[in-house]
Amino acid sequence: MSARLATLRDGLVGLIPILLILAVWQAIAVSGIAPRALLPLPGAVGARLIDQLGSPTYLQHAATTLLRLFTGFGIAVALGIALGVAATASRPVEAGLMPLVRVLAPVPKIALYPALVLMLGFEDSSKIALVVADAVFPILLATYHGMRTVEPKLAWVAHAVGVGRLRCTFTVVLPAALPSVLTGCRVALVISCIVVFLAEMIMSTDGLGHLLVRAARNFQTVDMFVPLITISLLGLTLNAGFNALRRRLLTGFPEEQ
Amino acid sequence: MGRIGALPGVPPLLAGVALLVAWEFAARLIGISGLPPATDALAQLPAILSDPESLLDIAASLRRMAIGFALALVVATPVGLMMGRSRTVAAFFNPLLMVIYPVPKAALMPIIMLWLGVGDASKTLVIFLGVSLPVIYHSYQGSRAVEEKVLWSAAAMGMDAPARLFHIVLPAALPEILIGCRTGLVLALITMVTSEMIARQTGVGNILFNALDMAQYDTVYAMIVIIGILGFLLDFVFERLRLRLVGWAEPAADIIVGTT
Repeated sequence: MSARLATLRDGLVGLIPILLILAVWQAIAVSGIAPRALLPLPGAVGARLIDQLGSPTYLQHAATTLLRLFTGFGIAVALGIALGVAATASRPVEAGLMPLVRVLAPVPKIALYPALVLMLGFEDSSKIALVVADAVFPILLATYHGMRTVEPKLAWVAHAVGVGRLRCTFTVVLPAALPSVLTGCRVALVISCIVVFLAEMIMSTDGLGHLLVRAARNFQTVDMFVPLITISLLGLTLNAGFNALRRRLLTGFPEEQ
Repeated sequence: MGRIGALPGVPPLLAGVALLVAWEFAARLIGISGLPPATDALAQLPAILSDPESLLDIAASLRRMAIGFALALVVATPVGLMMGRSRTVAAFFNPLLMVIYPVPKAALMPIIMLWLGVGDASKTLVIFLGVSLPVIYHSYQGSRAVEEKVLWSAAAMGMDAPARLFHIVLPAALPEILIGCRTGLVLALITMVTSEMIARQTGVGNILFNALDMAQYDTVYAMIVIIGILGFLLDFVFERLRLRLVGWAEPAADIIVGTT
């Protein structure tokens, strides 16, 4: 009982800074220190958000963003897991791939965006390619590390009962590395969300990121907040959804941490 | 071969060369103006690196990055350490951090520019925001894992709470904090480039896009190479520094590449 009470207390304490920020925002906006054009009322932003979420044009832009996001993320998951498995299963692949990963992983992928635009054009494909470039590394590294740290006894048992090396990789080692793989995917999902938005801000004619830039050019402050909040809510929802999926898939796994 | 491959830095170097060769071949094969051969792009490097104006731009970018990164360390580390030691502090900050986590920090640029102008302050603030999160997270994890008995002993010997945080929790959590710093450093560079690509006033991102606008594709690719090398070098140097500082805490198995 007291544990539940403590959790409740923690939840209430956690609301304080969020409410505080909203209150300070409201106070500054009302007091007139900052002109309304620079800092709209939080209520106005909220009302506009709800308004926009019912507008077909806005949802069309959101759908464009989501399509790019999921296509890129999907390709990154397939590519990342495949490369991770290949690097664990084969020494030559590992020796060739891991130094490349080591060079490319810390490079800001967003800098590749102009090159991707030049090569793939202005439309969806360059943005999807950027999402793939950013999302593939966390997944690849999580798969690789996860599979390498799988309890070797599991593989030994499989070998002892006559399971081949390749089959053992897919039916024993990869499933045992699932917690790590899924963590990598979750991180990559939020990264994809952020990257697709930034790519749309830098160069695009549609999508949520473009809406922010368009509002900024027209000096419509309220409309600048709305896409930003939308993409953040999207990230939060996807993150929470993925966590739920992860718990579901991992029932029976020993809980890590 | 085995001996050369075992030297630190050689496999990444080989990988870099392999990338350039692959790029060169792909460009010659495809033959579109949007993908100049690697040699053409690399030929632009001396021109960019000897032009005082672009050097100043690059220096200005790096200065903003360093300031944002340093400020984030100073603010985020104590917050993370305190979160790890006090349940109330953790409960206070956790939901806020969870809400901020999926916000694209560089996308705040246009809004922050309304308040702080187009100058250094906005860009530094955005970098600060980008770096803070991973540093807080890792400091939090590190300070949570500190051995309780050490803290009890110190308390029993009359050490007060701030001193315990500084003399015991900080050193014990240092390996984890530095992992956060490594992530933060890479993020600082990413946020720096992104914010400059969005705001387009000065800096590395601006050179990149000016070249793109003027269809100087060689320069575009040369700038991408410069940013890439910058990212790799920053990470590489920091990793050396980290190993030197907290090599004692490094599990032997964590050296991934360069062992074969």
